[in-house]
Amino acid sequence: MSAIEIRKLRFAYPDSEPAIDGADLEVEAGEILLVTGGSGSGKSTLLRAVNGLVPHSTGGAFGGDVVVFGRSTRTHRPRELADVVGFVHQDPEAQFVVDQVEADLAFTLENLGTPPAAMRRRVEEVLDALGIAHLRYRAPASLSGGERQRCAIAGALAAGPQALVLDEPTSQLDPQGAEDVLAAIGRLNTDLGTTVLIAEHRLERAGPLADRAVIVEHGKPGVPGLPGPVLSAYPGAPSVTRLGRVLGWDPLPLTVRDARRLAVTVELPLADLPEPASRGDVLVRGTNVRVDLGGRRVLDGVDVEGRRGDVVALLGRNGSGKTTLLRALAGLIGTDRGTIERAGSVAYVPQHPGSMLFAPTVRREVTETLRLLGRRDHGDVDRWLEALGLESLAERHPRSLSGGERQRVAIAAVAVGGADVLLLDEPTRGMDWPSRAALEQAVRAHANGGGAVVLATHDVELVARLATHAVVLGDGDVVADGDARTVLAGSLFAPQVLRVLPPYLTVEEVAAAVGARQ
Amino acid sequence: MHTRTPLHAVTWLIWALAAAFTVQLAPSPVYVAIVIGVCALVVELHAPRTAFSRAFPVILGLAVAFGLFRVVLTALTSHGIGAVWFTLPSFQLPTVLGGFTVGGTIEGPVVLQAAAEAFVIVGVIAAFGAFNACASHYELVQSAPRAFHELGLVVTVGIAFVPSTILSIQAAREADRARTGGRVVRRGRLLRLVIPVLESGLERAVALAESMDSRGFARSTAARGEQVSAWCGLGALMALGGAFIALVGRAGAAALGLSIAGSSLLVLAVFLASRATERVRYRPRPLTGADWLVRGIAVLAPIAVGIAALAGDSSLTWVAQPLVWPSVSVLPLVGTLFLLAPMLVRPVAADAGEPGADAYSTTEAAPATTGARALIGVKPE
Repeated sequence: MSAIEIRKLRFAYPDSEPAIDGADLEVEAGEILLVTGGSGSGKSTLLRAVNGLVPHSTGGAFGGDVVVFGRSTRTHRPRELADVVGFVHQDPEAQFVVDQVEADLAFTLENLGTPPAAMRRRVEEVLDALGIAHLRYRAPASLSGGERQRCAIAGALAAGPQALVLDEPTSQLDPQGAEDVLAAIGRLNTDLGTTVLIAEHRLERAGPLADRAVIVEHGKPGVPGLPGPVLSAYPGAPSVTRLGRVLGWDPLPLTVRDARRLAVTVELPLADLPEPASRGDVLVRGTNVRVDLGGRRVLDGVDVEGRRGDVVALLGRNGSGKTTLLRALAGLIGTDRGTIERAGSVAYVPQHPGSMLFAPTVRREVTETLRLLGRRDHGDVDRWLEALGLESLAERHPRSLSGGERQRVAIAAVAVGGADVLLLDEPTRGMDWPSRAALEQAVRAHANGGGAVVLATHDVELVARLATHAVVLGDGDVVADGDARTVLAGSLFAPQVLRVLPPYLTVEEVAAAVGARQ
Repeated sequence: MHTRTPLHAVTWLIWALAAAFTVQLAPSPVYVAIVIGVCALVVELHAPRTAFSRAFPVILGLAVAFGLFRVVLTALTSHGIGAVWFTLPSFQLPTVLGGFTVGGTIEGPVVLQAAAEAFVIVGVIAAFGAFNACASHYELVQSAPRAFHELGLVVTVGIAFVPSTILSIQAAREADRARTGGRVVRRGRLLRLVIPVLESGLERAVALAESMDSRGFARSTAARGEQVSAWCGLGALMALGGAFIALVGRAGAAALGLSIAGSSLLVLAVFLASRATERVRYRPRPLTGADWLVRGIAVLAPIAVGIAALAGDSSLTWVAQPLVWPSVSVLPLVGTLFLLAPMLVRPVAADAGEPGADAYSTTEAAPATTGARALIGVKPE
């Protein structure tokens, strides 16, 4: 029997075009079904329809049927499905009701009226199932993103639902946190047989975990199938899959492990790798920077510089001082020692675009910056909207956009001021592949036009494709500094292509080498 | 149950009420200063290092700001009482607005007396600020009568928005400066700060509401008892409202009758609702000896000060005219010191609420995570 049945589902948010248009999907009991697709494709709406948040919490025009373990969402509200479906939201901050992890886990059970003895046992088991027993007395606000998201999953799981629906649970997390969360989901499925419906961008991690995958486009899920064949046709497929396509491998690999086995037979001439370009004038330079925040030494003697034409990537784990360094370069915080020299103007895009967007349309948001700077010519607005692929969204409300689209709006709104140096804090967080491609293009154009970009990121694939220089921070120090290729080549966390076919960094380089051979 | 505070939330509430009563009974600045000092000490010792304990100085600062505002208003509007410090230009308000004089003579006794009164308000706010910093709000909700559970929970969730809103205000300020490359543009800034903060807050609230709904909040439909209780509550409100009107209309007997009826209906409503709601509680916190000790000692404070007041102790209040130093006597002094009772209890070890302090537990968690990885590793692909 199928656990979740979606039949002829049609749904439109109030006063909008249909978000879901005739969707049919069956999720079998005990499987992990991976849902992917670009922003605005309707995958989030589809997932929210499973536990009845669509239409009960959103309103709008609803047609068709969603039946979850024999209960139709037409007649059951989300709260009446809480014992069969657990729902995990994208934002780890917005799902805790109680300020203590253990008490929060008991929240669902209390609502369901579970007897105290059963409740106690259930909470202990869920703590173990997700490996969060050591966090039980902590306040959710004091946890890291990955820990918080695992606690949220535990909260959804506490009532013992047969199915778990997760809407991009790792999109706000760093790679380590994301890996912990996905590992936990895989284990739940293996150990408890929980049916999992998950939307995810990190296909290289989530792909191997899934039993089947499906791509949602224009409000319609495609035909579900094995993750390999389904995902390999998708433009946002992992780098190794695209590498396999270039080299004509069959079957296409999803993981670095598969790709390595296939790569043994590949012989490529050692093509001319692009030489590191000669560097331009210094635009911003921090020398021996030390910053103490809240009694903690966050940066201790860091040197960093951005020259014309540079894309400098700052790497390092959470709390290693990347954001602090960007804020110091931007002049938003002072340094306790050392100097920051700025030969050009500097602008900073914060990690959460939500903290700056306020205008009613995307275009007004971008124009506003020029107005604040007292400029009259608004010619650059269209240029930046186009550079970041926002023309079609120009009249939309910024808050109605997806995370990746919002991030692009924030970048456009800051960059339009014409700063020579752009400082971007985790620009690809929560971005799907079209957003990411647009961002990469805009960053490259800015650097080639004689500007500099300094970006803090966890995303090594982005660094491989984009960065000219890389600086690795650890515990407030510079651990490695040099041109991006050298720094990445020596790292344990190398990008996928480098791990499969060294010394190539990107699929494009391999493609060039293949082209040279033929 | 191991928590982040050594005392039950209700114990903290009793302590805070005792402190507030003490301040009201002994409004002389000396005693108020002692109570505020005691509150600060208790927060320092017992408050878990969360956003709430960091809010304590902010709350005190706000109280002081309100106090100063009050002093300024009083000084500008009260005249002809004592020694004049200096004279400001003055104007008369129209009769509709009270007809009093604003500005004019600023008099020493007026300012000092208003300051002393404002200080009492600061004292009361300090007591509740300390309660806010030390007690778990959720624990208080859990011990409230069951009929108030949903309401209490909503309030708790609301309180939890305070620290996150402070954070998002900081983020919005910074984003606004970053946008113009560090240049501060004042025109229209309030709007540019307020809209992102409100919209982020609204988004978070909607997400939280969906999450609560998905987790079965308010799942049980209204039972018969709850419906009866709701009608009782409505009746109680109407009766009490009627009693108030009767009181204004000087119909004493009707007022008495209505207020008795209203109060009994209210009690009945709470009783019925508490019986009807099927709610089980997860690990309710038991009261310990420490709780009873602190409660017992803390209530002695207002009692001691109250006895001193009945005995006609003149040191309890202070007047600015004639100007003398406030005096101190033994009984109220000892009374205020009873509020130190929470200092007798050993604080919970700091690691319970702190990020990064769980070095021992990361090793404990490691096998679970490794196990998970191993399981995924062997999964056929």
